[in-house]
Amino acid sequence: MIRAENVTKIFGSDPESAIPLLEENKTKDEIRELTGQTVGVNKASFDIQQGEVFAIMGLSGCGKSTLIRCINRIIDPTAGHIFFKHPERGEVDITQLDEEALRTLRKQNMSMVFQHFALLPHRTVLSNVGYGMEIQGRGRRDRQKAAQRVLDMVGLGPWGSSYPSELSGGMQQRVGLARGLATDAEVLLMDEPFSALDPLIKVDMQQELTRIQRELHRTILFITHDLDEAMRIGDHIAIMEDGKIVQIGSPEQILVNPRTEYVAKFVEHADPTGVITASTIALPLDSDKFVSGGERDGISYLHRQDLPNVRYGMDREGRLHDVQLDGQDVPVRRLEEVLEDESARPASSERTGLALTCGEDAVLRHILRSRLHSTLPVVVTNGDGRIRGLIDDPELINGILEKRGHIP
Amino acid sequence: MPNPPPARYRRWHAVPIIQQNWGSNRMGELVEFLRVLMTDPFGFIDLPVRQVITDIVNWIVATFRDFSRTYISPPVRGVMNGVQWGLSSVPPGAFILATFVLGWWAASWRVGVFSVIAFALIGFMGVWDQMIITLSLVVTAVFFCVLIGLPLGILSSRSDRFYGFMRPVLDIMQTTPPFVYLVPAVMLFSIGNVPGLIATIVFAMPPVIRLTNLGIRHVNPEFIEAAVAFGSTKRQILWKVQFPLAMPTIMAGLNQTIMLALSMVVIAAIIGAGGLGLEVYAGLERLNIGQAFVGGIGIVLLAMVLDRITQGLGEKAPGVRDRGE
Ligand SMILES: Nc1ncnc2c1ncn2[C@@H]1O[C@H](COP(=O)(O)OP(=O)(O)OP(=O)(O)O)[C@@H](O)[C@H]1O
Ligand SMILES: [Mg+2]
Repeated sequence: MIRAENVTKIFGSDPESAIPLLEENKTKDEIRELTGQTVGVNKASFDIQQGEVFAIMGLSGCGKSTLIRCINRIIDPTAGHIFFKHPERGEVDITQLDEEALRTLRKQNMSMVFQHFALLPHRTVLSNVGYGMEIQGRGRRDRQKAAQRVLDMVGLGPWGSSYPSELSGGMQQRVGLARGLATDAEVLLMDEPFSALDPLIKVDMQQELTRIQRELHRTILFITHDLDEAMRIGDHIAIMEDGKIVQIGSPEQILVNPRTEYVAKFVEHADPTGVITASTIALPLDSDKFVSGGERDGISYLHRQDLPNVRYGMDREGRLHDVQLDGQDVPVRRLEEVLEDESARPASSERTGLALTCGEDAVLRHILRSRLHSTLPVVVTNGDGRIRGLIDDPELINGILEKRGHIP
Repeated sequence: MPNPPPARYRRWHAVPIIQQNWGSNRMGELVEFLRVLMTDPFGFIDLPVRQVITDIVNWIVATFRDFSRTYISPPVRGVMNGVQWGLSSVPPGAFILATFVLGWWAASWRVGVFSVIAFALIGFMGVWDQMIITLSLVVTAVFFCVLIGLPLGILSSRSDRFYGFMRPVLDIMQTTPPFVYLVPAVMLFSIGNVPGLIATIVFAMPPVIRLTNLGIRHVNPEFIEAAVAFGSTKRQILWKVQFPLAMPTIMAGLNQTIMLALSMVVIAAIIGAGGLGLEVYAGLERLNIGQAFVGGIGIVLLAMVLDRITQGLGEKAPGVRDRGE
């Protein structure tokens, strides 16, 4: 949907003078010393898919705001290209648009949500939400109806005739969000939209955004300086340092596999339980810690080296057939089913009477919770039901503490 | 120094002395030159400012007299007559009631009550008609100040170059003593209400221009960025964002303009503008202190009412909500 290629922004009296130095991989500080120019964004490239939330995260001053403002050209990039897959006109290069085309793009295709809300104080909430549509030239009635609908969606239905100053910060940002959504633009640019909010309200808003996004499937570029927020919201995360994007990946990829010291430092304090998935930590079937236990009636058995009394039967396709504890069959259930029914939590002594299976994308938090129901290793299966591996306490502990995959 | 030489001689005498006697008594002449330089340095150059300005004004008057009397006087006089006709055709009782409602609506019931007391006092002192004339002059002058000043203020806010040109002009307009406006005004427009109004318009306009410019420039850039991000044109940004948010500042400028206009309208009595100013002026001329004071008190009361009401309007302006945060 949006593809950035080497987007660069240099602030100062002579931005061009710094370009060759960037090519030589000089750092921001060196360039400042040599030319007096400030590097805002340094050759940022990324590709945002339609309908995803793409989070950009980095410390204060690393150039996030500058980058997001280059996308809708509130700031003109010094170099680079930004391609936008226009719903009617095919791919356009935003950096090449003239004033008029640019305004049309902002009116119809891209809207924005701001860190400090930037609601117009002299307009009511409803008329703030309708601002973008007013600029689009839509009629008053139509506008008000549409604005009210979006306002209902963000849970502020009855507040239309209030003024922004009468609302709390969280409510104001809901209005900001509603204003951004109301124009039906395909792309929503959000510059630290929740940073100015209290922690609890912030989590509320994150959930709200996720809920709305499930309904509307917009393409969202989301800026934040909070890695946990980026992981909760983003389908992909780009990490910025000193104007440069140092790593792009899914939350789990970044958490498990930080590419630089800088990223590793962030990741160190991040909460992995909602991000790391079963497939990452499971002890894979081809590990040498599995011991084969013979075959009977076309079912082959195996067990973990460190747990010989629990045996797993597998048919020829590799699907789980049965689980035996000390030679006795134990019932097998899906992890999701068990978690739904919290009341059926068994007594501690009975927790060995059940085996659980989970999908590859089950997150650590759910697997941990399932330990309240069963202490036997969790069997990880893929979409076809084939066994991929097992998760027992060593894998869980390793996942939480080291944010790594299984111990080889 | 006994008996100083005549001015004309004193001014230039040092120079030829130095030129002629340079060879014979250099030292003595140099000392003499330095002495003159220290004690009477301004004799060397005579800036003919007085003459130049007289010439300029004469030229302007000669060139523009016809133009101003055919194209500027009629609309100003027309508006003035219209306003005066309108204000004087309201019966005083109804007028007072209207100011009460206006004061209440614009500011508070207190201001409403104050307006009633002030206007009633003016009436009881017997200067109601004069007050109506003064008010008409002020309203007319302020009307033209806004008509001309607002666009100039907007232009100043959008172009640094234009503001760079406006600034010294505004400085001159504001620091020139009000009496100075009267002479060219009379020369261009003869005497009566019109030259008084013209002088008033020129004298009272700067605050509108300045504060319109200031108000628009000081609108928080966040709001402008938001408007830009939604694809607004420059014109839309001006009318939907900057102007409404600048409104409290513009109203403060309007308030100042009204006060300046009132003070100037009083001075303009010297060149034949009527109203409360004339009362003061005539009272002073005839040494009738009572009459002068009645005019003065009327002016003060009118000024206070106008000030309270326009201040109230300023606080009602839409952009004022921004100040809460
Ligand atoms: N208008 C400007 N002129 C000069 N330098 C600028 C300008 N805007 C930003 N910068 C510089 O560019 C760099 C990046 O700024 P930017 O605002 O994009 O950072 P950020 O990541 O958004 O920070 P924050 O988290 O504080 O919002 C900073 O070093 C800043 O000083
Ligand atoms: Mg920022």
